[in-house]
Amino acid sequence: MPALKPKRNFPMMDMTAMCDVAFLLLTFFILTAQFKSQDAATIETPSSISAIPVPDSDIMIISIGKDGKVYFGVDNQQTRLAMLENISQTEGIQFSDKQKKVFSLQANFGVPIRSLPQWLNVGVTNPDKLKDVPQPGVPTDSTSQNELAKWIYQARRANNKLRIAIKGDNVSKFPVFKDVMASLQAQNINKFNLVTGSEAPPAGWTSDK
Amino acid sequence: MADIAQGGGGGHGDKKVRSKKASTRVDMTPMVDLGFLLITFFILATTLSKPKSMSLAVPDKQEKLTETEPLKASKVLTLFLGKDNTVWALDRIAADDEKAKAELKKVSYGPDLRTLIFQAKAIVDRENPKDDKGVSQFVCVIKPLKSSTYKNMVDVLDEMAVTKSKRYALVDALTTTEKELLGDKAN
Repeated sequence: MPALKPKRNFPMMDMTAMCDVAFLLLTFFILTAQFKSQDAATIETPSSISAIPVPDSDIMIISIGKDGKVYFGVDNQQTRLAMLENISQTEGIQFSDKQKKVFSLQANFGVPIRSLPQWLNVGVTNPDKLKDVPQPGVPTDSTSQNELAKWIYQARRANNKLRIAIKGDNVSKFPVFKDVMASLQAQNINKFNLVTGSEAPPAGWTSDK
Repeated sequence: MADIAQGGGGGHGDKKVRSKKASTRVDMTPMVDLGFLLITFFILATTLSKPKSMSLAVPDKQEKLTETEPLKASKVLTLFLGKDNTVWALDRIAADDEKAKAELKKVSYGPDLRTLIFQAKAIVDRENPKDDKGVSQFVCVIKPLKSSTYKNMVDVLDEMAVTKSKRYALVDALTTTEKELLGDKAN
């Protein structure tokens, strides 16, 4: 019987399988990724036990910032362009193609219609500076100057399938929400969604549906 | 997988041409490192918890309302959402009642409010049978005051879902008696 020859191999693990797994996961994450969009303001939403997901497409989000500023946003670039086109017709403001392009790239905005061209010009000349420009919020207060209502109307003209979500900040005051709600109700929109974080329901609680 | 098939030369040539015995095994470790690094990046860059939403339906303002029977105060819990996260509750009592001032209770959000709603609902249910659709006759009127925040309102709406109070109304106007009752709290 020959003496057992000890294996002289350097202990090396086969990484191939692990590599396969890593790239499989990587592919999965790349394909499912939905990047955080650059919003005009960070909004911390309150949480609720509600479990209705916010739709990904065909949605209009009206955000209420900490300081009561209202921001308006529509999900699709085509809708944004059509909406701007409608506004430019009704308000008599002309936008250049470059300005339209910049506008279509904004997830949301809080600028009055009058100062919109000026704001978009910043985006045309140096796009990096655009997010640093302070935004006063879309005016909602008086009925004649209710620009939010105009935007909502034109956005719905551009895409009539739009659903409406209101995303309010924890500390924003109720009267601002009331104004937003009044702009919606004035157009006979009586059902909308409030965006909230998720929270576990109390123990033993079951949904009726 | 990393090995590449060796010696494709066929049967005869084996003895004459000795191919080099260099290992073609590739070290996969850096590639794995890179893979996991990218995974980490993608995990962190994506939004993990998708936001949820609660639906809110408000009555149509233009619709002509048919005359309905006025609400009995004995079935109604009125919640005034005030500043600094406090709720003023009127439990089954009208604001113009003389006992209202003494009955106005200060509650905080969370368990206190929930217990209050549950109690009021239980009493209403005991006194009044459920209607023909099997819905409790308990009504909750939510009146957010000027100084209340959006979170307060969402919290109360959430309590409605938790306590399964199907009948609630979000009202922003105060009546004159309510204004008198609340006094400076109404601001």
